[in-house]
Amino acid sequence: MLKGVTIFTTNTCAYCQMVKKYLNIKGVSYEEVNLDENPHRRSEAMEISGALTVPVTVVTKKDDTREIIVGYNLSKLAPALV
Amino acid sequence: MSDKIDLYGADWCPDCHRSRELLDSLSIEYNYFDIDSSDELKNKMLQISGGKNVIPTIVLTDGQILQEPSNPELLKALNLNPEEYKQDKAEKEIRDLVIVGAGPAALSAAVYTTRERIDTVILEKGVIGGMAAVTDLIDNYPGFEEGISGLDLSDKLEKQAERFGAKVEFNEVTGLKLNPNKTKEISLVDGSKLVARSVLIATGSDYKKVGVPGEAEYVSKGVHYCATCDGAFYRDKNIAVIGGGNSAIQETIFLTRFASHIDLIVRSSVKASDVLVEKINEFVAQGKITIHLTTVPLSFNGDGKMINSISLENTVSHEKKTMPIDGIFVFVGLNPNTKFLQGTNVKLDNRGFVEVDSNLETAIEGVFAAGDVRSGSTMQIASAVGEGATAALKIREYLEK
Ligand SMILES: Cc1cc2nc3c(=O)[nH]c(=O)nc-3n(C[C@H](O)[C@H](O)[C@H](O)COP(=O)(O)OP(=O)(O)OC[C@H]3O[C@@H](n4cnc5c(N)ncnc54)[C@H](O)[C@@H]3O)c2cc1C
Repeated sequence: MLKGVTIFTTNTCAYCQMVKKYLNIKGVSYEEVNLDENPHRRSEAMEISGALTVPVTVVTKKDDTREIIVGYNLSKLAPALV
Repeated sequence: MSDKIDLYGADWCPDCHRSRELLDSLSIEYNYFDIDSSDELKNKMLQISGGKNVIPTIVLTDGQILQEPSNPELLKALNLNPEEYKQDKAEKEIRDLVIVGAGPAALSAAVYTTRERIDTVILEKGVIGGMAAVTDLIDNYPGFEEGISGLDLSDKLEKQAERFGAKVEFNEVTGLKLNPNKTKEISLVDGSKLVARSVLIATGSDYKKVGVPGEAEYVSKGVHYCATCDGAFYRDKNIAVIGGGNSAIQETIFLTRFASHIDLIVRSSVKASDVLVEKINEFVAQGKITIHLTTVPLSFNGDGKMINSISLENTVSHEKKTMPIDGIFVFVGLNPNTKFLQGTNVKLDNRGFVEVDSNLETAIEGVFAAGDVRSGSTMQIASAVGEGATAALKIREYLEK
């Protein structure tokens, strides 16, 4: 079970749209942090992912463990949501 | 109890077509209610489904309610054995058309085929809209006088195809085989298989790597291939762009929105359209871009976590230097996505692009190719879309044969 999903995105990133589309299809609600609108949170995304890229999807499970998916990667995203 | 099944659906809904086809094939009679035809029917459906906007919603004669059932679920509810059904349905499971990829060529073809009710499956391993979706601004696609962002164009293409019932499935094609009865077997990365009468290869191409030390190690950690994806991390930073063709110049111009300075590393000379060259020269005059001609990268260097410098060599003077840099964007050309065709009878040219005849048909009868993946293509969205339409019409002819 999931506690929450957060995605770090930018306005121009197509892979971010794909992650959102996928979550919508699966009926998973999420919080979106748009880094163009919230530039001060860029370092947070970098710390979490260890990379300078979006999307970064953070899936928090019921037991507070977190799974971090960097990029649009269905083979990692899909199992993280169950 | 009623004497007929009620099926609430809509003409644009692929799962509704699937359920209806199943009932038709079993000669089971049912009432079809198109919920788009009146609010009354829509409300009735919502009442039955417990307020859920789900179609098809099916009410069986014994009162059982099924929402978006799979074919085996529907068969089970009808007291039929899905296993038996599977065997005598093998013939029917053959799809008319499988489109590999969901870029502009594929979506354009799908508009034509789904509108003509050709049973179409679209398979995409990455982004709907393909390369176009990750391109910042598309300035030369006819019909948009001010240009259009790649993301917006992809969205429009997708919605248009969906309006006629096209549905993109997220899957990667790993193989293609011709069966003795001329149908084609398509293997997918999850191990499953599809059988189709015709196939359209519209898999486009992917970014080429430069192949220097440090490149693979620092992907997304200072080495990038997509400006619209990762450019925003380089606000007020110094970056290098590798490449000198249209894409490299266009993306360099986009990156000036973020970066304070860009070093453009060009192997020989800039080979881009006059409009782009003019634009880039304006930035050079402002001191925002420095162009290094006849220069190649030797290595991308970092501290183990992130890139911090790039080593270059001038190919004429053989002078070498290392420059501090915050990030590197690589646009050195494209490789066709045709790995899954290796070892098949589809003929590839010496660079791996698919060879076709004037009908866009490959060396395998009933297998067509369109867009960037085609040998000799012009690598433009307008061309890809045109070829997608042509392929769709040729596929229709082929299926009618
Ligand atoms: C940086 C850049 C800027 C550009 N700017 C312009 C421009 O301004 N104007 C213009 O007209 N063109 C431009 N182009 C070119 C344009 O993007 C392409 O010509 C166009 O996208 C080609 O469309 P396509 O459908 O043939 O292939 P693609 O758009 O490449 O789509 C192919 C799709 O197939 C998928 N795929 C690949 N292999 C498989 C597989 N095995 N299984 C399932 N799916 C698969 C891919 O994920 C991809 O989504 C630009 C390209 C780049 C890189």
